[in-house]
Amino acid sequence: MAPEKIEALTSTRLKTDEMIINMGPQHPATHGVLRLLLTLDGEFVKHVEPVVGHLHRAQEWQGQNRTWFQYQALIDRVDYLSGMFTSWAMARAAEKVDGCQVPLRGEYMRVIVSEMNRITSHLLWLGTYGIDLGAMFGFPFYPFREREKLLDLLEAISGQRMMFNYIRIGGVQSEAPPGWFAKVSEFVKEFPDRVDEYEAILTNNPIFIKRTKGVGILKKQLALDYGVTGPSLRASGVPLDLRKTKPYSVYDRLKFEVPIHEGDGDTFDRYVLRVKEMRESNEILRQCLEQIPGGTADELRERRKACNSCGKADCSNCGGDLMIMAKKQNAGLRIKAGEGFDAIESPRGILGCYIISTGGDTAYRFKWRNPSFCNLAALPDLLIDHPIADIMAIFGSIDVILPDVDR
Amino acid sequence: MSEEKATDKPAQESLSAGPFGQFLLEHGIPSTRLADSCGVETIELEEKHLEGAMKRFRNSAEVALDLLIAVSGVDSPETFDSVYHLWSYSNSNELVVKVRVPKSSVAAGQLPTVTSLTPFWSAANWHERESYDLVGIRYVGHPYLRRILNPWDWEGHPLRRDYKQVVDALNDKNPHSFR
Repeated sequence: MAPEKIEALTSTRLKTDEMIINMGPQHPATHGVLRLLLTLDGEFVKHVEPVVGHLHRAQEWQGQNRTWFQYQALIDRVDYLSGMFTSWAMARAAEKVDGCQVPLRGEYMRVIVSEMNRITSHLLWLGTYGIDLGAMFGFPFYPFREREKLLDLLEAISGQRMMFNYIRIGGVQSEAPPGWFAKVSEFVKEFPDRVDEYEAILTNNPIFIKRTKGVGILKKQLALDYGVTGPSLRASGVPLDLRKTKPYSVYDRLKFEVPIHEGDGDTFDRYVLRVKEMRESNEILRQCLEQIPGGTADELRERRKACNSCGKADCSNCGGDLMIMAKKQNAGLRIKAGEGFDAIESPRGILGCYIISTGGDTAYRFKWRNPSFCNLAALPDLLIDHPIADIMAIFGSIDVILPDVDR
Repeated sequence: MSEEKATDKPAQESLSAGPFGQFLLEHGIPSTRLADSCGVETIELEEKHLEGAMKRFRNSAEVALDLLIAVSGVDSPETFDSVYHLWSYSNSNELVVKVRVPKSSVAAGQLPTVTSLTPFWSAANWHERESYDLVGIRYVGHPYLRRILNPWDWEGHPLRRDYKQVVDALNDKNPHSFR
């Protein structure tokens, strides 16, 4: 071969074309339907454009065209892995506009079910994240075992396994069934050991560490710029957790730490942080079970035998702090005119709800601020210069749930 | 369905500027204070002052409103509103900023325009795309203003009050239609 031809083939000046590849929307690891338009240089990502909206169900439009009462039942679908939080955000915003106070027992019940829901959400993330990284066999069943227990408990109290519709405007829907509190305390006692089991499999696993350490570093400045919130932000070292920074509900009565990782914020840090969060949620659950006014539902039922469950507001067994619902709801529920925004800390970040009411039975404008939507916007910058094999490791680690993005 | 009434009463002139309004005045930017939304200061800015005000809110160390929570487009009876919820990472400051474009100033077939905040927050990128998609507010200076939740070839802006759904297979009354 002529020397110049050899030179042309082997030199670094060899020109390669970039290739555009479509990933998704039916990729099994996208936890929904996300389409990524990848521009690749060989194996490495040069540009990403996420295409969202495949699951758009016009949740905001429905909020404006259904009554408050009807829409309450729909909003668990906004983020189906943490339905309690979407209900809670909407209930809080509506209560703020309406000026209605939730009784203390109702608030504690909300915290209990929400923290249980947070654990189930993180457990599902942990299991599927194992699958995303290729641990197809065995591991996912460990977190799912505990998740099933929690979902059974949530089903017992709300009637539904995932679309709870349990937290309502003004309180919660119903008192816990007999024996429910005992089962929750049982779970709270055994759960730390179970987390040890997951950690025994993953935290020091050389394959897991190789796949995650130093991969997908979310720099603090980038996270702040994109408005990333939740565990992904805290893994980058920013202590923003609404439960601590703007304590809502009864979080100011509970003692808990907000885990913050002072590392570079790579994929492994986000894993470590979520595992720590599960332990903290468990701790919050334990304290709530001790502090809840009126004690367990069974104790309360015993006490109420004295007054024959009269339900009067001035009764020492039924009224005041021991109620679970501030005002009785019916289908004609109306919210006073006004506008308000309220946000809570969901498993994925700050979940907010902006309501404009004109005093009618529907909202004038209903706007969701979804953590997944904002976190996903930072994904393109995280993926640049990573190989294709890391895309799902990084995408999985920011814990985006697509119905929450598309609503 | 409720009657669509005015969302809020005409701004009361008597409200004196709140802390954030004062802060803006010190920098020579006029703003109108609206009725508080659930205890959070709410100000209205003219569209031309939006960029300067946001720059100061974000970069000043004392105010530090550096977390853009949400950009919401609202189709009010008289105006198109772009509502910004600003929070702070480091303190508990909260502010609601509204930019209102009167419907009378929007020419037929045109979209109302508001300055884009993407130079200050990358977060504004997707929020503004969403607001453009659903309410139809054009953000001037946005690098990639394209529909985000609806398909790219969608017609109309679904969260407008006068939006009529285009005919599809479900609501098509024409028996000869092939849809």
